[in-house]
Amino acid sequence: MGHAYATIAFEAARCDGCQDCMRACATAKCGSDDISRARLQVLPAVLPAGQPLDGGAPASFELAMCRQCGDPRCVAVCPAGALAKDVETGVITRNADTCVDCLLCTVGCAYAGIAPDPADGRVAKCDMCDGAPACVAACPTGALRHVTTARIYNEVGDWEDLFAPGLAGCQGCNSELVMRHALRRVGPDTVLATPPGCVPGMGSVGYNGLTGTKVPVFHPLLTNTAAMLAGVKRQYKRVGRDITAMAIAGDGGASDVGFQSLSGAAERGEEILFLVIDNEGYMNTGMQRSSCTPYGAWTSTTPVGRETKGKSQDAKNLPLLMVGHRCAYVATASTAFMQDFYDKLDKAIAASKHGFAYLHVYSPCTTGWRFPTERNIAVARTAVETNFVMLWEFTPQDGLHLTHPIESPRPVADYLKAMGRFRHLTDDQIGHIQAKVEENRAVIAQIAAGAAAR
Amino acid sequence: MTMAVREAGTAAATRPRHIVCEGNEAAALAVAMVRPDMLSVYPITPQSSLVEHLAKLCADGRMDAEIVDAEGEHSVLSVLQGAALAGGRTFTATCGPGLAFMFEPYWRTPGLRLPIVMALVTRDGITPQSVWGGHQDAMTVREAGWIQIYCETVQEVLDTTIMAFRIAEHRDVMLPVNVCLDGNYLSYGAARVTLPDQAGVDAFMGERNINWHAALDPLRPMAVDPLTGGSGGKGPAAFLRYRKGQCRSMQNALRVITEVHDEYAARFGRAFAPLVERYRMDDAEMALVTLGSMTGAAKDAVDEARAAGRRVGIVKIKTFSPFPVEALAQALAGVGAIGVVDRSVGFRWNCGPVFQELLGVLYRLGRPVPTASFIGGLAGADLTVEHFHAVIARTAALLGGDVPDGPIWVNEND
Repeated sequence: MGHAYATIAFEAARCDGCQDCMRACATAKCGSDDISRARLQVLPAVLPAGQPLDGGAPASFELAMCRQCGDPRCVAVCPAGALAKDVETGVITRNADTCVDCLLCTVGCAYAGIAPDPADGRVAKCDMCDGAPACVAACPTGALRHVTTARIYNEVGDWEDLFAPGLAGCQGCNSELVMRHALRRVGPDTVLATPPGCVPGMGSVGYNGLTGTKVPVFHPLLTNTAAMLAGVKRQYKRVGRDITAMAIAGDGGASDVGFQSLSGAAERGEEILFLVIDNEGYMNTGMQRSSCTPYGAWTSTTPVGRETKGKSQDAKNLPLLMVGHRCAYVATASTAFMQDFYDKLDKAIAASKHGFAYLHVYSPCTTGWRFPTERNIAVARTAVETNFVMLWEFTPQDGLHLTHPIESPRPVADYLKAMGRFRHLTDDQIGHIQAKVEENRAVIAQIAAGAAAR
Repeated sequence: MTMAVREAGTAAATRPRHIVCEGNEAAALAVAMVRPDMLSVYPITPQSSLVEHLAKLCADGRMDAEIVDAEGEHSVLSVLQGAALAGGRTFTATCGPGLAFMFEPYWRTPGLRLPIVMALVTRDGITPQSVWGGHQDAMTVREAGWIQIYCETVQEVLDTTIMAFRIAEHRDVMLPVNVCLDGNYLSYGAARVTLPDQAGVDAFMGERNINWHAALDPLRPMAVDPLTGGSGGKGPAAFLRYRKGQCRSMQNALRVITEVHDEYAARFGRAFAPLVERYRMDDAEMALVTLGSMTGAAKDAVDEARAAGRRVGIVKIKTFSPFPVEALAQALAGVGAIGVVDRSVGFRWNCGPVFQELLGVLYRLGRPVPTASFIGGLAGADLTVEHFHAVIARTAALLGGDVPDGPIWVNEND
């Protein structure tokens, strides 16, 4: 698999137009202090008529720079084959020997990311400084960030997939994605518990002597996952062996009948990595309600009828309850934000070596939530963009902070209308859910503000 | 475990030590001597002092074991399942409502073939609300697949607890064991006991290899307990194979329990009847069948009755699960009347559970024997010598054909 699909991200709201980045680039690339020679240009955002873009509010800026596109137009239009995307680094490189100076690339690029160097008239572009961009280092406000579009794609392919091919998940289910990525990252020195639910339902523990997992794996009871893992981990620790004790559990087992053992293990600080895949119900057995099922949702045990329309209670905020246990690490994640998930997974693995680490991953259920299979990631993303799901992490030292704050959340109705399970909602019910989203946002924000004030 | 290791300690090397302690402490001391890896505990009356002793032994450094203070009995046993699958020697104790709460993992432990040892400090069932002794808890779970061994004295609690680990971990058994000691009467009853010496116990226990059959170990990855069964394909046959092996091992346990008791007696000089004890049964025309600590009072009563010329003896059941059908049939072969004293009730047959089980043994005898069910000692009620005199008198009436049509409630007129 290829490596390092990196780019430089620009957050206009943080940019004050100081031009330090341009000076750093010109120095690094040309040995010059002439900022017109920099391979990035930070320019005031103006309308053609010369009016400020935002009507006189504080000045804002735009970035002209190579984005190292995945499907680069500059490469496509180059008649000489002088531009190419490096399969290892992802950087778009230019071969000066073969370049015919036609400047077609400057027309092809939508970001003004490749332009003639005023010193010699030949095109020049960002080469990402071998992975340590000088501009990012020079930026005093954090407006420029060096982001690998997905570190996961750089590294994951090199790790063994510890689930066998052919797990039998529903079409379009992304829980399998979470499982495979997570176990790859955790690695082979792992004892894996998958309590009854979708995960073993796919065949992770297996049927009749065949197994879908390459690490030691077992069915705990739905009720005792954390306790069994605690016994496994403590015994290995006693004999001086380092293993990761990991659970991949569903929300039902974790939030309902297995909550006592989860709570007990968390309180005792058992060294466990407990990953919950939250599809908001008992989906494996026919979509029954769990305490993580949201208000108003249809399930097979909260049907829509004349008297009641879906679940009549709000969901239990299980990850927030785990914060209440002061676990070594608690985080929420979403299948639509895999890099965020990966960052948290690494922290959770590290935390599980000295305490209880809890990861709560929202994973839409195409079968039970009633939406087309190809919409799974879009549904997951909309949940985050409406603040229906909030991405955050917590440690006892640093408190809680949002990892993907949504400045201007979309109305929750955008999320609800994407799924059949909410099709029946009345305006009052939608209003109730919107109010609960606001309430939850306020609670999380208050906790996060408390952490920031420390 | 190799014979070489076992032979390393000899009877001559044992240095007995005598102390006075209650049954709960005796069990804890026995556990310390077998050097467990993992203890998981949750306190419940009348078991609490047992786990308190375990905690103190660990805190004082007299026992090197992990001790997990779980948040309830359900997790207590679950922790031990995980530890055993990782190769640990494990122990816990519970009773009554704790056992009921533990039932889900309890029910599963024999199927996982984990040699977990658990003291069952027997307690009567609620409700009526009660915290006192009785066998209702143990009787309720007698089809769950655990080996259940009942003790009569504090000394027997200590020695049986040590032996229980050898029985559970034997390759022909690999099943969990309940050492049953009567709540209140044995848990809190203090008596002089003789401790075996540590070197002798080490030699008796031999090398440990707990999870040779099923392991959660990254060095030999396997899926533990995949789904099986169903209406067709390989599943049902696989399920049957597991179940049949479990039943076979339960029968093997009858032999292994006897062998381990013999070996223990040879090494430490204390012999207990492993399955069934015959007390003054030579020439007996009638027998009392007893279980647990009540047997002490029963023996005193029988001694007095014998002195008065009554040909009465006792058949005490030590191993209740697996049920020692053949041993009981032999022990009862010559009698003309049987009085079975239960410390719990059987709701379905309107008799005591031991009585109900014994009816199957009568079939083996090949002749009808007049038999009566006595129920007493519920919720901590004392079963005294006087009570047993009444039991003997009523059992003697069976010889004349006076067979009751329901249970006789021993403490009813206390």
